Order: sequence, then C-alpha cells, then structure tokens
Amino acid sequence: MERPIFHPVGTPVEQLDTPALVIDLDVMDQNIRTFQGYFSATSVKARPVVTSHLCPQIARRQLDAGGTVGGIAVTTLGEAEVFANSGFTDILLANQVVTVSKIRRLCALAGQTSIGIAVDNPDNAKQLSEGAVAAGAELRVLVEIEAGMGRCGVTPGADAVALAQVVDGLPGLRFTGIMGSVPGPKGDDDPSAHEAKSRANLQVILDNKAAMEQAGLSVSVVSVGGTHCYAQAIQMPGVTEVRAGRYPLMDHRLKPFLPALAPAARILASVISHPIDGMAVLDAGHKATAPDQGRPVLEGIDGGIATRFSAEHGIVELEGDAQSKLNPGDKAWLVPYELGATVNQYDYFRAYKNGKLEGFWPISARGRLA
Amino acid sequence: MNEHYRPEPGTPMEDLETPCLVIDMDDLDHNMDVIADTYEGKSTKLRGHSKNHKTPAIAHRQIRRGGTVGGVCAAKVSEAEVMVHGGISSVFITSEIVEPMKIERLAALADQAEMLVACDQSSNARDLSKAAQARGVEISVVIELETGLARCGVRDTDSGVALAKEISALPGLRFRGVMSHQTIPDMPDREDRAVEAARTIKGVIDLKNAIEGEGILIDIVSTGETWSYDVAADIPGVTEIQGGSYLMMETHYSYMTEFHYAGKILATIISTPRPGVAIGDAGVRAVSSLSGMPTVFERPGVTVAALDSDHAVFKLESGASLKVGDQVLLIPAQQDAMVSRWDRFIGLRKGKVEVVWDITARGCHN
Repeated sequence: MERPIFHPVGTPVEQLDTPALVIDLDVMDQNIRTFQGYFSATSVKARPVVTSHLCPQIARRQLDAGGTVGGIAVTTLGEAEVFANSGFTDILLANQVVTVSKIRRLCALAGQTSIGIAVDNPDNAKQLSEGAVAAGAELRVLVEIEAGMGRCGVTPGADAVALAQVVDGLPGLRFTGIMGSVPGPKGDDDPSAHEAKSRANLQVILDNKAAMEQAGLSVSVVSVGGTHCYAQAIQMPGVTEVRAGRYPLMDHRLKPFLPALAPAARILASVISHPIDGMAVLDAGHKATAPDQGRPVLEGIDGGIATRFSAEHGIVELEGDAQSKLNPGDKAWLVPYELGATVNQYDYFRAYKNGKLEGFWPISARGRLA
Repeated sequence: MNEHYRPEPGTPMEDLETPCLVIDMDDLDHNMDVIADTYEGKSTKLRGHSKNHKTPAIAHRQIRRGGTVGGVCAAKVSEAEVMVHGGISSVFITSEIVEPMKIERLAALADQAEMLVACDQSSNARDLSKAAQARGVEISVVIELETGLARCGVRDTDSGVALAKEISALPGLRFRGVMSHQTIPDMPDREDRAVEAARTIKGVIDLKNAIEGEGILIDIVSTGETWSYDVAADIPGVTEIQGGSYLMMETHYSYMTEFHYAGKILATIISTPRPGVAIGDAGVRAVSSLSGMPTVFERPGVTVAALDSDHAVFKLESGASLKVGDQVLLIPAQQDAMVSRWDRFIGLRKGKVEVVWDITARGCHN
C-alpha cells in the first residue's frame, strides 16, 4: 500500500507529501459535463469505462452527470467485483472470462447485479452457459468483434453471425448484441487521418449488426470504444453506446484528440537535487509514473523537460531561465502520458478544489487484475 | 488492493487466478545462495536493495542465508518504514531526503533502527542535523558521488571532501562514508565487467582516500549493483554492494546465467482469434513493458508481439500452439517495474503454493 501522510482537508495542494497523484475536481467535473454533454441530444449514450480510474466515487459522479446508459464497463473480473460491492447495478465486463474458477465468480456476481460479458468463441459461450445455469443466474452476452485492435474478438462476418446464433440458443445467456474496440491514436497520429480510420473500423463492427439481424437475431446493443472515437461513433446510426474511460481525468496522449478537455490528474513531485545548472532530479521515477507507454510531461516550467525516469528518480533538463528554478524542496507537476498505467501505481487520489485538499479518494479497484 | 486472494498452501499453479505474480522458491533460494557463497569470507558484503522486492520476509530470508551486512537499502522513507516495522535493524536510504516532513519521518525511524541516508548537498546535511538533534537521535550519513548516472551526487572529489568535513562537524550526524551507482550496457564477459567496474568505481575510492587524508574516518564504501556484485567485491576498499535485481532476475541481465529467473507473471490465454495469435490476460498493468517486451518462459516459438494495458498479444511460430485456458509464464525485461505493480508474491515450489508474501512496501513512493 501507499503510505501517504493523510493531510487535513483544506491543506494547500502544493504542501502535500510527494509523489502524489492529484486530481483537480473542478477540471474533472467540467470534463465529465463536456464529454457526457455530447450524448445529451442523441440516442447514443456513454458507458464509462472505470478501469481508467478504478475509483467508485468518480464513477458515481459520471453516472450522476447524465448522458450515460446508467451502467459502467470494466476490464477485469476483480474490478467488476469491487464496483458491484460499491453499488453499481449494470456492469459490462468488456473482456473474455475463460477459466472455471473465474466463470464461477462471474456467475455468482451475476446473481447480485446485472452483468454483461464479451464472448469471442463458441466453446467459451457454452462454458458460460453452464456456469450461469448452475448458478441460476443470467449473463447478458455481447459478441466481441475484431475491428483493428489485433486482440480478442471474432472475425467479422459469417463467424460472428454463427457465434451470435450459438449464444442466442444457450440457456443462462441472453444475447444482447455486439461490441468492439477500435485502435486509439498512437504518438503523432494526425487527428483527421485518425478519424477516418476510426470511422472505417466502426463500420466493420456495425456491418455485423445488419448481418445478424438478417439471420433473424435481435441486436439491441452495439457497444463501441473508446473515448477517442466518440464523435465518429455518435454520427453512425446503429451504435447504441460508446465505452469511454479517459475523459474525466485525461492524459497527455489523448490531449490533441480531445482539445475541449483538460488534464485533471497530475503527479505532484518534489525536487530532491539540482546538482548542475542544467538538471534537476525529482522524487518521482518510473514506479510513481509508469512511463511504459510514454513519458509524463513536465508542466509550467518553460525550458524544463522531463527526459528520463529511472526506478525512483525523474530527471528534468533545464535550459535558460529555467536553470534557476526547481531547487531542492520545490514542487513540480507532471501530466501522465497514459492515465491507466499511472493510476495503477497508487492507492489514493488526492482530490482538491481551488488549490485546497478535499480528501483522499481510494482507488478501490487498484491491483484487481485477476 | 486485492485483499481477498490468498491461495492455500499446496494449491497447484494450474488452479491460480491469473494474472498473478509468482516466485519460484527453488530459484529464489538458489539466487540467494549465489550471493551467500560469493561473499563468504570476504570483507565486502551485500546490502540488498529492498526496492526490488518491497517485502520484509524476503529481506530477512537473504540475511539469514548469508552474504549480507545484516541490513538493507531502501529507496524511500516510506519503504524504509516498512522495513523497520518488518524487523530490519539497519536501513540505508540511498536517495537524498530533503523535504521537512520526510526528514522528520527519517529521524523518527532513527530511534528504532540504524538509519543511513545518502547526501549530496550541505544545506540538506544541516537540515538532517537539526532534525536528529531535536529528537536526540543519530542519523548516519553517506555522501553520494555521481559516477555515470548523471543524477544525484556530488560531482567531484573536492566537493565531496568539503561536504565530508561539514557533515563530520554537525551534531546528530555520524559521517559513515561514500556511495555511488553505475549502470552499464550488456556486458556478458566478466573481465569486461571487472574493467568497467574498476573504472567507474575508481572515483568513489579516490573520494574515500581523499576524505581519509583529511583525518576523517570512513567505514562504508557502498557501490555496485547486480551487474558488478562479483567484480566490485574484488576492488579494495569497497565494503558494501547494493544489489536487488538478482533476486527475481530479468532478461536485461540474461548474461548472468548464475542467477535463475525466479519472479514471473502467470497469465492465462483468453482468446485464440486467428491462426498464429493468442491473447493473454496480462498487460502493462501486470508485467510492465518499460525496458522491453516480457519474454515467454520455456515455450519455444511463442513471443510477445504487443502489450496493451490488460492484454498480451502472443505470436506463435509454426509448430507452437496455445489454446484458450492454457497458462503462460512471462519473465520481465525489468523486474522492479513488474514487482511495483503487485500486492503479493505467490511462492511456488515444484509447482505448488508454498507461501504467500504481502508486498507491504508496494506503492511506497513517498
């Protein structure tokens, strides 16, 4: 566990012990209002993917803000269990669950709350059916379509239709529709080129709905993800929900693609050494930032760039006037490159408003990977 | 934090919920014994770095098996707290501790255990002195010298000597010696490593000699990492080696064949959507891709082609096969990044659970 100092509510945020994962609640709430507002005048609704923050308090704020289907999506069974225990009544586990013990856990959970699950092969569908029947529960099943991720998902077309028919015929399962994820932007992708690519991938998913309906199946849900493709998804008739996770807190990677939203989650670090003019050393290294998919970005110091993250240290290179800044004991702000990986390294968000601490919010589903 | 998942001793690996962090106890004990044997009868000993395992039980196990100074290194004050609360009697914090709140915590720990801390600036030494005096405790201070990492540390011998004089004169502080860190590119040949270690460690030996030339006593010269654990011990003057990666091991050190891959992520195949492709349930959040893709353990022809947040995409060469439900073990490119993502080790011997260790310092960033 983290061993933070639980400062009193009202403590100025810059006085928090570091490294700390900090969220500006006003920015977060504005992001939620802005993004979920996109869904207010359309039949397409958002389904918040809580894997991005793992925090029931944030998920509750998302559902309260409108524009959603009223339910959430998770990635692991452990996350589903945490959120079910936190009172969420419509949970889509947008992933495959294949082992006997996990199917047992999944079906036990389905006895307590409404659970949706993704399926991409008929054998797995049969196992889920047996588990659900044994537990006296019902699972909502979405057939997962491969649409460019190169990951899970049945091949679009005949295979997908055949799988949907298998699911539809199995006891304990309720075939409700299809889901798919489309690849997010990478590095320097051009936003308009990325939009075109997303539209094509979304169409791959939608084509299966038509094919399944032709085969006599009723497809009530077409669930697509993620945050980056919401604008294209909203415009495509047939899509019913957009699974989106990163919009409340944002990260550096997504910023160019959602310019109306601002980073709400940042890492507060302290300078522990300024050994030469051109360099300051921070107390936040890769364990406190998880830069696996990209380095966090230093905010607010012109001429300062975070260039290296070893296990326990972050290195900031300083040019010009910046060389007189970031002295030992000073604070520095880092915007995560990839939110989910960073959140995974912490047990608490330090939530603040107007520069003052509001509270420590538990990242309750952290570490629930199994 | 996954508080409820604690498999019973005797549970076969096949029944474990995945992904999970497993440790092969035979391999762990072997790696510990390599250390014990290497330093037996030598004046140089290991001060194992707890940042690599974050688990007092593992620290105690190495101390019991031998080859150590009887204490550990820690990277952070909170990590040091976990080690002291876990019964370790000497902890060396190998980072500079500068914030007032953290200095207070360090001084409080010094009342419970021998505490050593790295220092590279005189204002910090004065702050440490004030806190130690106020509490009536003694904090041991070790000067860090920069020797190639371009990070913290005094930059030359003269500044090191000046700082040593200042620390020696400060009440509440006990000046103990000098430390340095180095990293090297892959260097499989032991002779090459010996030459590189001698070159990079020379600075810290020079600093030790210069400080002693001023009549100041030194009892600690702490240096090295896993890559130099053996060769640095042959350099006269070195008293302690800081090492931790050797315990779990990582592909980054694949050339150090005397150590075994003990720490791994156990994953399950959840989908085989296309020929030649299988999807596993462990991604970046489970294993990390920090210094490169993880390697699939003992499954020829299977490689990790991509790692998403929660999925591994395996590529299968012809002849290799994986089906839904199969388990796969992944060894990391960088083990400390992997360990930092988990709440417990599941210790397996001959494929069955022997012990479950809480990684109590996981998340100790501050």
